[in-house]
Order: sequence, then structure tokens, then C-alpha cells
Amino acid sequence: MNATEQIVAKARELLESGTVECVIGYERATDGVNARPLFVYQAEEAGKLIFDQTCAHNLAKYLLNRKGKATAIVAKPCDVRAVNLLINEHQVERDKVLIIGVVCPGMVETKWGRVSEKLRQACELCREHTPVVYDFLVGEPGDEEAAVEYPDVARMEALSIEERRAFWEEQFSRCIRCYACRQACPGCYCSECFAERLDPLWVGIRIAPSESWIWNTMRAFHLAGRCIGCNQCERVCPMNIPLSLLNRKLEKETLELFGYRAGVDAETPAPFATFRKDEKLEVGE
Amino acid sequence: MAVGHEPRIVGFLCNWCSYAGADVAGTSRITYPPNIRIIRVPCSGRVDPLLIVKSFQMGADGVLVAGCHPGDCHYSEGNYHARRRLAVLRPFLEYLGIERERLRVEWVSASEGRRFSQVVSSFTEQLRKLEPRKGAEVEVSS
Repeated sequence: MNATEQIVAKARELLESGTVECVIGYERATDGVNARPLFVYQAEEAGKLIFDQTCAHNLAKYLLNRKGKATAIVAKPCDVRAVNLLINEHQVERDKVLIIGVVCPGMVETKWGRVSEKLRQACELCREHTPVVYDFLVGEPGDEEAAVEYPDVARMEALSIEERRAFWEEQFSRCIRCYACRQACPGCYCSECFAERLDPLWVGIRIAPSESWIWNTMRAFHLAGRCIGCNQCERVCPMNIPLSLLNRKLEKETLELFGYRAGVDAETPAPFATFRKDEKLEVGE
Repeated sequence: MAVGHEPRIVGFLCNWCSYAGADVAGTSRITYPPNIRIIRVPCSGRVDPLLIVKSFQMGADGVLVAGCHPGDCHYSEGNYHARRRLAVLRPFLEYLGIERERLRVEWVSASEGRRFSQVVSSFTEQLRKLEPRKGAEVEVSS
């Protein structure tokens, strides 16, 4: 059985037995090329579910709308880490979520109504193909995963500070502050975002480079030690701002300083939720 | 360095140690550069990175965060949390093109008036060596 058939069979079984009320998965979008999220409530509709290399969405975001309701979710390794993040942060209850983990081949770019052969950038850098946790696994678990590397961040770090400043100035100047990055992010779930606060007005509504600068800086920083690297923010960015370069820098820093990667399990406290009294962090010393 | 440029520093001082330390500097008639604009916060742990980033957005040349020495926090652990956040924020700002030296974190106790003066003096001198912030705009908020 291929991945799609396994997911369909499992979803049907779960809905028929009443184990869950809803299965969140993917279906083919109307353009016949892309995938889109699908919420299955009836066993008869499970046949619509699909899984292939176009299923790029991180569906963990939708669990936030189903708090306290038994839900199954089709999740790739990065999505599973997002579920872990939400459990860790008490947004989702573990016993209400049934994870249909999928061994991930990496997602491909879809452009102009065509599926390309090219892996998405985040997937190209990703070394995790088997979910860290699952209730049911689709596919064969792979071998030992290779160490995480940050070649893209290292390239940025090699630039001079003026070059980096100019680079980000140019990138952020394109930002139209549509906040799609926030809407797609499983880690961005504040009911009132600082960007929407009017008093104090942290992010002004006018079109100005400095307003985009503060938005992009703080969006990334709010995910420091929390970003699980699903790269939804960059995927949905209409202006192609390389947000992963910001997220991955913070990921690298928290990994180096605190040895922490978000979402690997649901128990370890996030780096900013804890501390060690004797640690040396080159701050205030 | 631009002629006549005076660096502007936003100083977030914790109410229990550093703000009192600055006060001691004042009552002891110890001088320190007027480049610092002091904002009193209940704890260094109160200093949301957003406050720092906002300061830089508004054109600050430097930001000083000063709190109680580790172990002396009035709220037991606020400065430990601040330390972790700032340890990540500093390299991140550097990555965005804001020099590491522009964000300074110091532990100043309520009795260290002289030390407070030294911190502000050395920070101001350090910032004088850097160019004024490029691209920073000064805004008048209503």
C-alpha cells in the first residue's frame, strides 16, 4: 500500500470506530496540482485524502482550533515537531491528538501549475525523515539521522556587518506586512499579536522600512527556541523574503548555547522557560 | 565618526539594584555622561526584547540593560531569564547588522554608584567609536 492508501484506510478506521471526530489531512486542490488541507468528519469522505510530495502545509496549526476534541492529524516529521511544541506549551493535549506520522521524502516546489522535481529549500537542508513521535506510522522508518547543519546561516555570518545590514534592509523593504508568515506559523498563536497593539503602537501601520524591520525582527525572535523549521512562513511569503535565514540563525544559537531543538520531545522546557544559575553566556560578564 | 554626533543610549535599569545604583551615583556626586536616558523597570527580566528592538528602531545608538547581580534578583530569578534572552538577542541583532557592542548588559548593585558611572562612561566611549546608526529614523510619536 502506498502512503495515500494507508492514510485513507487509517482515517476510515478511526472515524468508523469513533476514536476521533475529525481527521486533518490533505486533498488535491482545485488546480489539480497543489495539495490543500482537508478536514474529514465522515468515514465516507476519507477517500479524498492524499499524500505526496506536494503536501507542504503544516497542519499542526489547525489543532489549535480543535482544542479538547479528539483529532487525528497527518503529519510529516516537521509537523510532528510542531505538535510537540504545542503540547509542550499546553496548547494541545496529547491524549486528544492522534498522530498519523508520515515518513517524509521531502516536499517539492510547485510553480505555475506544475510540480517540479526540485525539493523545497527547507526540505533540501532537512535531515529528518522519520517523525520523532507518532501513533501510527506511514512508510518505513529510516536510518540514524545525520547531524543538523546550517550552511545557509554560516554564509550569512561570513558577510561583513555592513553587508548583512544592507542585505536585510533590501529584503525587509519588500515586506508588505500581510502577516501571512504569522498566520501560517504553528508557533504564532497569541490571541492578540504585538503587531496589532495600538497602544503602545509597536508596529506602525504606515509603509516604512523601519516598521517592516521591527515586525520581521520580532516575529523571528518570538520563535527563538520555538521554531521547528517547517518553513511555512517562507512558503507563504508573497514577497519571497528568506525568513528561514532568520529562524535558522536563532535555531542555531539556541542549539549552540542551550543544546536545545524545539519539538524533539514534548517535555523538555524551552530555553527561555528555564535557566541554569551557573551558566556562562557572555552576557553581563 | 560624524562630527558633533553624540551617541544616545537607552538604559533599562532594574528598580531594585541598578536604578538605586544610578541614584547612589547621583547622590554621591559621581558624574557620568548625559548620553544615557534611563528607563526604570521593575526587573531586568521585565526587559522584553521588543523594548530593545524598538529602541534600536527609533534610532538609539546603544541599549544598556542593567540588573541585579545573578543570585541577587529581588524576584529570585528574573535576571537569569533576562540573561538567557539577551544571550540570544545579541548575536541575532548582530546578524541583522547591529553591532554586538551596541547592546550592553551589566549587573550593577544598589551600592555600586561608581561602577554605574564607569559602565555608562565606557559604553558611551565605545559607541563614539562606532558610526552613528545608519538607516535609523528618529520619530516623533504622538
